[in-house]
Amino acid sequence: MERTVDVVPEAGLHARPASKFVQTVNQYDATVTVGRADDGEDGMVDASSMLAVTGLNVEHGESVRIVAEGEDASDALDALETVLTTPVDEGGEAS
Amino acid sequence: MRALTGVGSTPLSGVGTARWYRPTALELPARPDPASVDREAERERFERAQRDAREAIRAARDRTAESVGEDEAAVFEAHEQFLDDPQLVDAIEESIDDGSPAEHAVSDAYADAIAQFEGMEGRMAERADDLRDVRDRLLRALLDVAAVDLGSLPQGTVLLADRLTPSDTAALDPDAVAGIATVTGGRTSHAAIIARSLAIPAVVGVGDGLDDVTEGATVLVDGEAGEVVVDPNEERRAAASDVDEPVVAARVSTADGRGIEVAANVGRPAELDPAAERGADGIGLYRTEFLFLDRDAPPDEDEQFEAITAALQAFPDERVVVRTLDVGGDKQVPYLDLPAEPNPFLGRRGVRLSLSDHADLFETQLRALLRAAATDAGDGLAVMVPMVARVEEVEDVLSRIEAVAATLDTEGVDYEIPALGAMVETPAASYVAGALADRLDFLSIGTNDLTQYVMAADRENDGVADLHDPLHPAVLRAVDRTVTAAHACDAWVGMCGEMAGDPDLTELLVGLGLDELSMSAVTVPAVKQRVRETDSETAAALADEILACETRAAVVARLDGVE
Repeated sequence: MERTVDVVPEAGLHARPASKFVQTVNQYDATVTVGRADDGEDGMVDASSMLAVTGLNVEHGESVRIVAEGEDASDALDALETVLTTPVDEGGEAS
Repeated sequence: MRALTGVGSTPLSGVGTARWYRPTALELPARPDPASVDREAERERFERAQRDAREAIRAARDRTAESVGEDEAAVFEAHEQFLDDPQLVDAIEESIDDGSPAEHAVSDAYADAIAQFEGMEGRMAERADDLRDVRDRLLRALLDVAAVDLGSLPQGTVLLADRLTPSDTAALDPDAVAGIATVTGGRTSHAAIIARSLAIPAVVGVGDGLDDVTEGATVLVDGEAGEVVVDPNEERRAAASDVDEPVVAARVSTADGRGIEVAANVGRPAELDPAAERGADGIGLYRTEFLFLDRDAPPDEDEQFEAITAALQAFPDERVVVRTLDVGGDKQVPYLDLPAEPNPFLGRRGVRLSLSDHADLFETQLRALLRAAATDAGDGLAVMVPMVARVEEVEDVLSRIEAVAATLDTEGVDYEIPALGAMVETPAASYVAGALADRLDFLSIGTNDLTQYVMAADRENDGVADLHDPLHPAVLRAVDRTVTAAHACDAWVGMCGEMAGDPDLTELLVGLGLDELSMSAVTVPAVKQRVRETDSETAAALADEILACETRAAVVARLDGVE
């Protein structure tokens, strides 16, 4: 199954959102790939790889396609959608 | 004795033994004949190195979360993910199968990944730094290179480096490190900010001259003068130890008897005791954001109540000024679901959110505050709201406090109404300071944001860094206008921006009439000392002359003239 989601965090799929995304993938019993929605099958990469995920260089506002297979596929997609649609604090100095 | 000049970044001094941190000096042995490589053994070596690196990364994460903050610690989670990255691990294992020793396999696999990121810009280039960090951890484990363990440097180390990453700096033990000096870097880099929050003397941007300082040399880092002194003589050492002002626990007055409160800015419970130890007269700015960040749901009333009473108990006889939630702008909280704004610094932040979308959170916070005000040390509680621009906002806050008080009353819960103030961060607040002060007990000037808004210069934009300076006459006049208007309404006025903690500006700020100065705890002793040396009449005359200056250059010249 698959889903297409617009990336909400200001940082895009970098830094903490990317970290959270990969962490989430690894929490589920599912094989997940991710890519830019416009890039088609060739643009899909291993979503459990931080290197591959940040290498996509997806920015805030871009649309990504997530494909999941396996026992937890549906739960994984739900959780990943939440990660990608939650604005994330990037740790500005509080003052 | 030889002195090198850089940019003072933490205004403290320390003397110690030079130790160079050269994280890139890792050399691989010559590549052996693939036929002679024991694949099995090399795989095991790699796995062991991976385990060692993981342990080190997790330890760094935990230490950083505790000593600096969760935000700064998050980078290590990404590091662990790179360590486990299936692409990298596969590439390394294949390379070992082809007959490479583990260290060459690691080096090759990471080199490809680093090259891929380095060609890109901004954030992607930073990822290359992260990858280098992880690669070096693996290589050090494999090559058994005694890494400079930044977390357990010997007592009295002066750490010298080309540059320090935030993670390097966060790993330091402030008790062991007498000082930091770096070849590159600026005062506002994240590494410099972390060094300041750890109270480690630091001079950055010293330049290539620093390379000539030999390992083991005795070095003095004078973060106030911005100097690195090699083989300092006795006189210089003595002068440096004077710079580290003795702690003055008592409240201080000017030479002619005008009392000035010197308080601390605190952003986390862990900073309360250090602030008290440095002699702070209470807290002039207690940021409550720590209660809201890095979690999935807002804190409940009891948790906030506990946090506020803990602060009050740390300063039982002093004032504790708690700022209500200040998010929006550059400070986002995931579960609040704040919409992205094209210009967040001019958007909905601070009290604007508290009075609209997040009225419920604000009410909970007010309940916690009113309850805390009724506890033993509750007399000292004061509450201030951030980002005020209009009188209506203050009136709205006051009526919400009344409503909360009425509810608590019906519920039979103990409460008191604490002193209430507003932060003056917008030019609007400074223009209507009198009307605000008329309705409040105090105002507190946040000079970082006030400067940003008066000068229309983004705090984070290096391109306008020269505009972002509180010594521009326009900013000083906004401060003066605020103080004068508030005093006319019998409200006291504090200052809680970076400016308040610069001892070289203490006389000017006293002259401008500020009643309270609140700063990073590290500069409290020096500012208290300056207050004692100040004569308020002379200071007022200085302030008048400076307010008449037309340019920042003229202000600086006048300030230098009195030193």
